[in-house]
Order: sequence, then C-alpha cells, then structure tokens
Amino acid sequence: MRAPVLPLADPVWSSSDRALELMRVVATAKEAPVGQTPKTVVWRKNKARLYRYQREEPATRRTPVFLSLPLINRAYILDLRPGNSFVEFLLEEGHDVYLFDWGTWGPEDRNVTITDLVTRYLPRAIARASASAGGPVTLLGYCIGGVLAVCFAALHPDAAVKNLVLFTTPIDFADAGQFGIWTAKGRFPIERIRETLDVVPGELVDVGAKMLNPIGSTLGTYLQLYEKLGDPSFDPRAWQAMYRWVNEGTPFPAAAYHQWITEFYQDNLLVKGRLRMDGRPVRLGAIRVPFLNVAATTDTIAPRTTTRVTLASVASRDKTEIVIEGGHVGIVVGRTAKMELWPRVSRWLKRHD
Amino acid sequence: MTKQRTTSSNTEAQPDPFEVWRKFYDANEAVWSKAAKETTSSEAFAEMQGRMLETFLSFQKSARDAMNAQLATLNLPSRDDVARLGEIIVGLEEKIDRIEDHLASLAPRPPARAKASRSRRS
Repeated sequence: MRAPVLPLADPVWSSSDRALELMRVVATAKEAPVGQTPKTVVWRKNKARLYRYQREEPATRRTPVFLSLPLINRAYILDLRPGNSFVEFLLEEGHDVYLFDWGTWGPEDRNVTITDLVTRYLPRAIARASASAGGPVTLLGYCIGGVLAVCFAALHPDAAVKNLVLFTTPIDFADAGQFGIWTAKGRFPIERIRETLDVVPGELVDVGAKMLNPIGSTLGTYLQLYEKLGDPSFDPRAWQAMYRWVNEGTPFPAAAYHQWITEFYQDNLLVKGRLRMDGRPVRLGAIRVPFLNVAATTDTIAPRTTTRVTLASVASRDKTEIVIEGGHVGIVVGRTAKMELWPRVSRWLKRHD
Repeated sequence: MTKQRTTSSNTEAQPDPFEVWRKFYDANEAVWSKAAKETTSSEAFAEMQGRMLETFLSFQKSARDAMNAQLATLNLPSRDDVARLGEIIVGLEEKIDRIEDHLASLAPRPPARAKASRSRRS
C-alpha cells in the first residue's frame, strides 16, 4: 500500500465536511451583502457622501443622528446587515439617520489633511444634514470619526449640533498602548511614509490592527468559525459580513496619516490644548453640548488609557460615560451590542431629544 | 461484513485534524497570545518593525522613481501627473463649495424653517 504524499490531506478532505464549508465561507465572504438599509445621497464632496437613510414612517424623535465614521474602515460597519445594524436600530427607535461616508481615497487625495476633513468636509455635511432635517443633529463619532467629531465640535461651538456622542474614541495619546509604542518618534518612519506614499494602503493599517492580537486575529478567527459551523443555528452570513469588513480596509491619505501620527499619537496635542486647525486652537473645553462618551474595557485600538480623560476634558455640564466590558468593535456591533450598548444609547438620546 | 466493519472502525479511528488542532489551540492560545503581546509591545520589536517599514518604503520609492523616469522618457504621463490633475479637479470643487457657502450666507433664512426650528427646540 502506497503512503499518501500529504498524510493529513485525506482526512481533511474526506472526513470533515466542516473543513470544506469553512473554506467556502471564507472564500465567498468578500461577496457578503452589507449596508443594505435603503438610503439616498444628500450631498457629496470629492469621494465623500452624505447619506440619509429612508424611513417608512415619519421620525418620532426630533433630533436626527449624524454618524461620523472612521477613515480607515468601510462605513457599512454601522449598517452591517439586517438584524445587526445600528442604523436600522436608530430608525426603529424613531430617529432620522444621516451617515457621512468618507469613501475610498485615491492618489489625488495625498494632500488631504485631518484639518481639511474637520474644517471643509464635516461643517458642510453637518449643515446639509441639519438643513435637510430642519433642525440640529446629534453628532455621533466612532473611533477616528469620533476624533474628527470632537475637533469639529470644539472648533464650531455654534454649529447645528445638539448633542455629541463618542464611541471608543481615543483622545489622550500619552499612553496609547501598542499603537503608541509602534508609532513613537524616532522609531516610526512617518516622514518616509509621507514622501513615498500617496495613500497609506488599507492593508498596511490592517496588518497593524491584526498585530495587536496576532494569534486571535489569525488562527483564532478560523478555528472559531470551524467550531461555529458545527452549530446548526449558526448563520455564516453574519460571520461573513464581519469578516468582510475586518479585511476590507480603506486607504488613508498620506497627509492625513502624517497629521494623525505626529499631532495626535506622537505630540498628543489635542488633550494638551495645543492642537491648531486652520490657525485656530482646538480646545476640548469649548465643547458645551450634552455629551456621551462610550468606552470599552478591553479595547486595544482605543485603550482605556486614551478614553479615561475624555469626560473631564469637555466643558459640557450634562455629560455621561458608559463603559462596557468588551473590545473596540465588539461593544459597538458585536452579538451583545443590541442588548447592551444600543438600548443605553437610545435611552440617552431620548432624554436629550 | 468483516470488510465493512474494518472500514467503519478505520473511519472512527481516523482523527479529525481540525479537531486535534482546535484542542491544541485551546490549550495553548492564552500562553501564545501573552507571549505575542509581550513581544509586540517591546521597544525592540517596535524598532525592528520601523526598520522593516523603512526598507519596504525605500524599495517602493526607488521603484516609483524608476517608473516615473521611464514614463518621462516615453513622454507618457505618470501616476503623479494624473494625481495632480485629480487634485486640480478636487480643488475646483472646493472653490465651488466656498461660493455655495457664501451664497447661502447671503440668502435670508426662510421664516417657516426658523419657526419650525424654534418649536423643535422648545
């Protein structure tokens, strides 16, 4: 009897249907349907689009929610799929919902800075949303989208923003965890990145995120899927939608990336009150609108050390913090989000409607 | 019958490699993750990562400069040239936005909307 060339190959292929199913689920994940809630474009600038989600019934809550998304990920994370969509939840709760999608930056955007996004994109998008809704909005920022929202609110205290909500948004970079160590001055070739790349590829940012937990984000992902495939109630489409999002990063304009690393991570200018945009100081103390900060206990992207000072930094008299057990993405769109975070945010929004 | 039993017994004895791997992973994951986190959180790792990135970027820059030189010799536009055109178009869009902002600031605020806005805040 001939020995098999690959001793493990036969058992893999013949004894485990789950192994085949695992490969099929992973291979077809990039086609998983995402962001399916119907929406219309209200305004556009360059690659960015301001969407208004369609409602079947008129809104029952007066204040629309304006979602400011991170630069490095696809915007559909908050509208992942029916049944697991924060947008869908807000619509059901009676809000009008606007989402500002930065789009996919190209080489022609190499000189776009964070300042441009805060002073030229966001003000117009928020003004358009407010005009379209007929009143001020609740500005809700997630991760870097939260940093942009904070800078905007600090620079524009008279803007049509009624409330400010942050989801897992790093503010104080004095101890920014592993990202802080990797991007420290003298070690991280940020000037070389700026002069070489037009846009920082999504893959590069993605590798950095995966390095935060190299075992769990590689082996763990597939072994968990393998295990779940044995559960008859498991819906692989939900897993595929999240897998697609995790692996579908977007490029970061090189100038914005340079500003992000040098002014936020390396010099920590925001929390020191020394950040300037278009010659004007960005002071967190200028934020006076009702404020909700949401943080995650085991967040490695925006560790608790980066979110702890947020509440004390703003001058709002009405301010609340919700700290949830979990990670950066998990508390916002994970399995427990709709039982844990979303209802708590909705109750806060109702009180501040 | 005997042959059938033998085949069945062979199948039962056949270990599922994924199951074996999963058990191995479950038993060791915590230790591996702790070690990986300690390694990747060290300054030595950060320096090594920085140097690797620097090397990658140096190659990238050389390749890009070489390509630009070849395209220039052939009188063909480079990626930089096309990007510059795109930048000019985006700059024009910004100018239009500023004109729109200015016109909007000159236009009188519609009384109906202002009233609705006040009532919404009350």
